[in-house]
Amino acid sequence: MQKKYFSFLFFLLISQSIFGQIDSLFNNLNEIVVTATRTERKLGNIAVPVSIITEKNIKQAASLRLNDILNEQVGLFLTSGFGVGVQMQGLNPDYTLILLNGEPLIGRNAGVLDLNRITVGNIQKIEIVKGPSSSLYGSEAMAGVINIITKQPKENKVETNIRYGTYNTSDATLNISQKIGNLSLQYFVNNYSTNGFSIRPHSVERTVSPIWRFTNQLQLNYPLHNKTKLTVLARYNFENINNKIAVTNTGNTTYSDGFEQHKDFNLNTVLTHQFNKNISSNVRLYHAQFNSIQDLKAASTKNYFDYFLQNFYRVENQTEFILSSKNIINIGAGYLFENVRSSRYDDINNTKKNTVGYLFVQDEFKPSEKLNIFAGFRFDNNQNYASAFSPKLAINYNPNKKISINASVGRGFKAPDFRQLYLNFTNTAAGSYSVFGALEAQAQVLKLDQLGQIQSYESDFYNLSFLKPEFSTGINIGTKINLTTTSYLNINLFRNDVENLIDNRLIANYKNGSQIFSYLNVKNAFTKGIEINYGIKVAKYYTISSGYQFLLTGDKQQIESIKNGLIFTKDINGIARKMELSEYYGLPNRSRNMANLKLLFESKYFFINTRIIYRDKWAVADKDGNGVYNTNDEFANGFLQLNFSIGNQFKNGFGIQTGCDNITNYSDINNLPNMLGRNFYLSINYQITKNKKQNETNN
Amino acid sequence: MKQTIKHLAVAVLLFSTVIIACKKTDTSIDTSNNGTFKVYTEGNVTTVQNLMADTILGINPITFQPYGSGKFTFFNLATGQIVANSDSATNKWDIGFRGTTIITNNGTSGPGLGGAFVQVGLFNEVAKVATDSIIRIDNAPNFAIKIGSNKGWYVYDGPNNLITPIPGRVLVIKTATEKYAKVEIINYYKGGVTPAATASDAVKLSQQRYFSFRYTYQASGSTTF
Repeated sequence: MQKKYFSFLFFLLISQSIFGQIDSLFNNLNEIVVTATRTERKLGNIAVPVSIITEKNIKQAASLRLNDILNEQVGLFLTSGFGVGVQMQGLNPDYTLILLNGEPLIGRNAGVLDLNRITVGNIQKIEIVKGPSSSLYGSEAMAGVINIITKQPKENKVETNIRYGTYNTSDATLNISQKIGNLSLQYFVNNYSTNGFSIRPHSVERTVSPIWRFTNQLQLNYPLHNKTKLTVLARYNFENINNKIAVTNTGNTTYSDGFEQHKDFNLNTVLTHQFNKNISSNVRLYHAQFNSIQDLKAASTKNYFDYFLQNFYRVENQTEFILSSKNIINIGAGYLFENVRSSRYDDINNTKKNTVGYLFVQDEFKPSEKLNIFAGFRFDNNQNYASAFSPKLAINYNPNKKISINASVGRGFKAPDFRQLYLNFTNTAAGSYSVFGALEAQAQVLKLDQLGQIQSYESDFYNLSFLKPEFSTGINIGTKINLTTTSYLNINLFRNDVENLIDNRLIANYKNGSQIFSYLNVKNAFTKGIEINYGIKVAKYYTISSGYQFLLTGDKQQIESIKNGLIFTKDINGIARKMELSEYYGLPNRSRNMANLKLLFESKYFFINTRIIYRDKWAVADKDGNGVYNTNDEFANGFLQLNFSIGNQFKNGFGIQTGCDNITNYSDINNLPNMLGRNFYLSINYQITKNKKQNETNN
Repeated sequence: MKQTIKHLAVAVLLFSTVIIACKKTDTSIDTSNNGTFKVYTEGNVTTVQNLMADTILGINPITFQPYGSGKFTFFNLATGQIVANSDSATNKWDIGFRGTTIITNNGTSGPGLGGAFVQVGLFNEVAKVATDSIIRIDNAPNFAIKIGSNKGWYVYDGPNNLITPIPGRVLVIKTATEKYAKVEIINYYKGGVTPAATASDAVKLSQQRYFSFRYTYQASGSTTF
């Protein structure tokens, strides 16, 4: 099987063999990044692992949604269930903060922010910071931060891109950048629709449902004064998903018909002022709203209706003081107010609220040209759960211009979410079990007991308490090396120790035998591994880049139980035997090995881009019933995904691109429900730049 | 050209090494007995295969819950035979099966002087009934062998709709006539083979409630096995 892939690959390589002289170098250490320190710093002076996805990377991969491009990055593992989430350094999607121009995106469902909601048509670059960053960003920045930076208004320019492909998928984008006097404006609109697809051709249900998505974004930059700048950004995002579900019971099929709608609105106002050459400050006012409605109608039964409305308001100030050429200090403080109203809680009309006040300090100390030390902390004081203190220390050492060595240690946290605090859910369809949020569970169970519905209490009922945030301690040690002028090697070793993980536990039993669950801080886990990235420009037009991640994970209590001989597995005949620690596979849904390989031929106007993504097997079900994932259990098969694209930009401003994703048509209906089959596309773009010569490609 | 091929070869080699290193091997399960009730004894261990325990007759159209006849299948550990359902109020049976519920002859379940508890450990390593053991009595709906996922002898995998005996759970049984036995439940499905997670619900329902288990019975009344 693999032989086939590789012979195909070699065919592609040879067909691309136009060789020239080696010229430009990878200057990646001089790239400016903002996410790692909340200030503009060169990548080579940053002390934590950061990777950058450029607009060019996105265009050449012909990505449409954020998950398309993240899927091709090493160490990022896309998960399905409640939308597409991203697993970073082996930690669940709940623990990665996703920012749009530095402000958090909201609207998570069961902890997952669906990456499909985000179009990549106006992205200038994506910065990915790995390792805990709560010392700057607070909650959710436990595994890392993904910051999407959209195009900034620069010159007068109009860009448009229209694409059509398999499954009747169409995507149209318009970007307008315009200067009117002192005002700079950037407007973006995107329309995406697809018929979805079905892995079982004659089924009513679509594996990926028909979807319509619409995004609108406007940014205004206005200099109030030569030292004061005002930026306003507004974004509106809408998506409609048509659901058709068929349930078959004893030969009778019930059809349900309905829709799911998500609306996303963000408004951000930033005022930046330079007091003098040593002091600059900004004030940010941010509002985000997320609204989700799901309505399913079935012929025979009651409607299923779900409503969720979340509001997020934040005010924040950050000030930078350049104390000396060797010492820069950043101080920030903010206050955020959040509220949620949902049919998933006790009463759709009850608004649940939370407020957080916080303060952060970061000191950047440069004892010599070769050494940068970052030390900082953040303190978050929360209304509904215990407060969090997140310190961080990071050191960057550059023995010469080619090598940069980093070491960092920091604390990350994730606050309990509204679901974990307030959920009030009874599943009448499956066994009538109930789940109550931690703040309400005791009162709800006592109320049910008064009504005579409770059979017995479990010991965890008495352990219910004020939920604590989930904490992690992360260590990253790595190096970035420019091996030659045309090749680089990045290596990063990481370890995250997570404490207080929130999990659901049985707290009581109904008289009818059904169970009641709530949330408690019960688990401790770890993830550790190594990530390696290597790239080389082998000829004038030819670049190879590759990445690899090895990952080990585990639940500490489970390891303790295995060591104590309390965990068993089964032999081939179903007879129990002791399980060895070496059989333990760690947390489910994690691949131990992930790799990618990208081959790019690129001249000034023309490119051919081939990407291969590999994911090792991952545990999906506890087949032997022992409560842990071990080599005897059920795994999803490892797989290779092959994507290919080719494009040409003409001098008159037109460009054309075509390609095929998932060339081998790999599918796994149970474990990769969101993976599209083989799909072809064709896209045409046009760009016109005023006041400047035309046909500037790849700004 | 040569240079390029060399670099490519190195990169591809590295990539394929990673993939090959991750290849796995599969094991297969013995499926020689495809559903007939069978009892056989080797040394002091008796193995029972395909004991039907209220197999599913249909699905309630309102609650969508599967149902059977609602009757227990009774078993005598001394004789290794199924006991007629009409003998439910006698001391002829020691252990009864209905779906995931396992009862012993005592308390609300029967007139016997039996009882049971679940011990964590391996069947072969449970050498005796410890003197400080608490032998529990059935008091419906609370049974000596607790019902419910991960409470007694099995775990229920909701997303895949499968029942699996928890490995390392030995049911220590006091029989109707106060003798001791230890029981290990091996499988809950026809032929001793759990359906694949991807199998249809129809298959999972029609194949379930077929117990395979093994036991050692101590006829002398001694607490040592």
